[in-house]
Amino acid sequence: MTVNWAQVFFNSAITGSLYLIGAVGLTLTYGLSRFPNFAHAEFITLGAYIGYLVARQSGLGLPLALVAAFLVTGIVGLLCYRGIFQPLAKKGASIIHLMVASIALGFILRYSIGAAWTWKPLYFTATWSAYDIGPLRITGLWVWLILTAVALAILMHFILVKTKIGKAIRATSSNPELALASGINVDRVILITWFIGAGLAAIAGIFRGADTQIWPLTGWDIILPIFAVAILGGIGNFYGAIVAAFIIGLAENIGVVGLIALGLSTSYRIGIAFLILIITLIVRPEGLAMFFRRA
Amino acid sequence: MDPLLYVLDLIVFIGIFGILSLSLNLEFGFAGLANFGKVAFFLIGAYTYALLSQIGVPFYLCLVAGGLVSAVFGLLVSLPALRLRADYLAIAVLAFGEILRLIVKSEEFAGGDWGITVSPAITLVGTSHRVDALVNIGLVYFCLFICFLVAQLLANSPYGRAMRAIREDEVAAEALGKSEAKYKAQAFMLGSAMAGIAGGLYAQYLQYVLPGMFMPMVTFTVWIMVLLGGPANNWGVLLGAVLVQIFVRGTNILKDYFLLPINPSDLQYILFGALIILVLLYRPQGLLKESQIKTKAMEGVRRARNAVKNK
Amino acid sequence: MQETLLKISEVSKHFGGVYAVSGVSLNIKGGGIWGLVGPNGSGKTTLFNTILGLHRPDEGDIYFNGKCINRLAPHQIYGLGLVNAFQIPRLFSRLSVLDNMLLAARGHQGDMLLNSLFLRKGWQEQEVELAGKAMEILETLELVHLALSPAGELSGGQRKLLEVGRGVMSSPTLLLLDEPAAGINPNLGKKIFQGIEDLSQEGLSFFIIEHRLEILFDFAHWVYVMDKGKIVVEGKPEEVLEDPAFFEVYLGV
Repeated sequence: MTVNWAQVFFNSAITGSLYLIGAVGLTLTYGLSRFPNFAHAEFITLGAYIGYLVARQSGLGLPLALVAAFLVTGIVGLLCYRGIFQPLAKKGASIIHLMVASIALGFILRYSIGAAWTWKPLYFTATWSAYDIGPLRITGLWVWLILTAVALAILMHFILVKTKIGKAIRATSSNPELALASGINVDRVILITWFIGAGLAAIAGIFRGADTQIWPLTGWDIILPIFAVAILGGIGNFYGAIVAAFIIGLAENIGVVGLIALGLSTSYRIGIAFLILIITLIVRPEGLAMFFRRA
Repeated sequence: MDPLLYVLDLIVFIGIFGILSLSLNLEFGFAGLANFGKVAFFLIGAYTYALLSQIGVPFYLCLVAGGLVSAVFGLLVSLPALRLRADYLAIAVLAFGEILRLIVKSEEFAGGDWGITVSPAITLVGTSHRVDALVNIGLVYFCLFICFLVAQLLANSPYGRAMRAIREDEVAAEALGKSEAKYKAQAFMLGSAMAGIAGGLYAQYLQYVLPGMFMPMVTFTVWIMVLLGGPANNWGVLLGAVLVQIFVRGTNILKDYFLLPINPSDLQYILFGALIILVLLYRPQGLLKESQIKTKAMEGVRRARNAVKNK
Repeated sequence: MQETLLKISEVSKHFGGVYAVSGVSLNIKGGGIWGLVGPNGSGKTTLFNTILGLHRPDEGDIYFNGKCINRLAPHQIYGLGLVNAFQIPRLFSRLSVLDNMLLAARGHQGDMLLNSLFLRKGWQEQEVELAGKAMEILETLELVHLALSPAGELSGGQRKLLEVGRGVMSSPTLLLLDEPAAGINPNLGKKIFQGIEDLSQEGLSFFIIEHRLEILFDFAHWVYVMDKGKIVVEGKPEEVLEDPAFFEVYLGV
């Protein structure tokens, strides 16, 4: 069996980029609010639909859709935190209650979307032509995805290291009591993190929707690999997530090669991330955290 | 469709989901475990039943096997997973369930996407759908009765008391000699066995098993039943099962009679989500509060206390 | 005095290089009330926690009834009859006071899965007996009117009493108490110690950390004084009170 390794690595970059954009928001809110937000899947889905709406109405391309989805979904995320998770946490809800609440929130969002747009899959009207460059098959969309991921990573790094709010996020993430004591407005930091987190999820949603289809389960389809990235990278750890995203991207794509070689169905592809997730949780739940500076 | 059949169908579903609720109540209500993968054990029971009945095994053995195989998986999962923190456990078993669903979807022996057809447990020749439904009700409620009995006996015993203590404070319970690992593993195994039996009943009632029947949504539906009805109260979670099933099936029936501007099944889940959030915010103990431990000794003390009060 | 119950031999415990307990040796024999005193940070609670299996000793050995317990888990140590009441009570708040007491009884047959489903008669009777014993202890501690109330509704002082009650309920060979009279008014504190003395005369042995020297010295028959992780003085209370080393520890003279 001949394997086009160049394509495998390129595909890994694509998968990794998508998972990275999807996972950053999850890992940050998980780290700050100390519970896994399962409704993150629906933030992704919502982003895809907002992008679709904007793309159809305006006829303008990807960038506007990305920005619009980021803003709208970011606000939705912020409101969800304010209206549901913060009050619950204030009442002393356990982590199990918060998780169940996030699933309930997911229901509300998912089925509202289904009610508004029906469950029929939708597709972006823009088409992306494929090019063959050497051994690689590339589409414009994939290039956009990788570039966006890189740009976002650099931007987030800049924000986290150089800006006041970024430093506040890192401080709050590692020690909320100390951050509060040093005068940081922890409440505002959390709100902003939820805003950014949901917004980034939306961007992932648009790319996922453009690459496959847009339907109310767009986010849920990739939420477990995204959890795998968040946990492998260390909960709350942005840099860990970058590395984890590409490890899992590679694992999935090399794994597909392995599946074919072993004669197994390629639909097991997504199971590779599930396995990594389970193994990480059992063997080393703090993930790669110790190798990276916090956040 | 025949309205009486709707009602009988509802009663069967209440029975099956009643068993699932009791199983989750044991794991979460009494033992404090965040089992977000309940559907995995439901699936195991269902597919075990389906595969065994395909080769001609009598239905009661299929049911028992479904329960046993689920229990074994429950034990295997509990070994690495139960010492995990609540959120890690939840995510891990959720992923486990999805892996199982992926396997039955992709492998031929399990019928892949098209599943397996299952013959009903008991068929009486030449009868109507109504009688078939009644027979199922008999079978399902027999199993429900046994599960309820087990759940109540466990809850009203020193064993149940120890389990609740572990739920409240593992370290303190360990210091009193209650092994956290043992109680949690046993709760998980029993819960899985019950879910497996429910799976078998489900398979033979619907007469087929499909991967699409075992989505995470099933797990969360059971969670709603438990949280709404009242965790750590066996009557409570049965009440939760009744209410949720009436709501779910009820809205489906409405679809046949009324034309609503919004698809009822979408609306139903939106309302579910809202309901659960409201329950968590304003009545996290559920409709029926945690049940008290009723043993001969405890009841004796209560009676004496009441006698003094009423003097 | 009878046989040695608890023998601690050159035990040390450090955390990241800081020695909380350093080369401690002591002997607790059966019968009586044994005291452990010392200023804050002298290592008393760490020593207790090491004995109880929450920490493993870095050096030295701990023997209970002749058996080395260094490597045992807390619930195993509990099973041997070496029982503790926490300093900050860790009760099961949502369970009733009586439930809390019953949980403390060792060897309750109903604890096993099969027994709860089948042979129910056996443990039902046993539990009635245990409940009787529990109610008696609760009466002594003046908590009996709260027997069916959730433990979370008790006041701080009442929780302390319940903790002691739980400790007694477990029919221990040696009961460790970490500051039983802390946060309780002196009269009630004396009352607890009176109860402890009554129980010790029935054969129960106690090893108690207490800050309130005046109460402890009235009841204990042997006291160990710790400072900075080491035992500096030991002996009968009246002897310790006259030992200059004791004053040095507490007054820094």
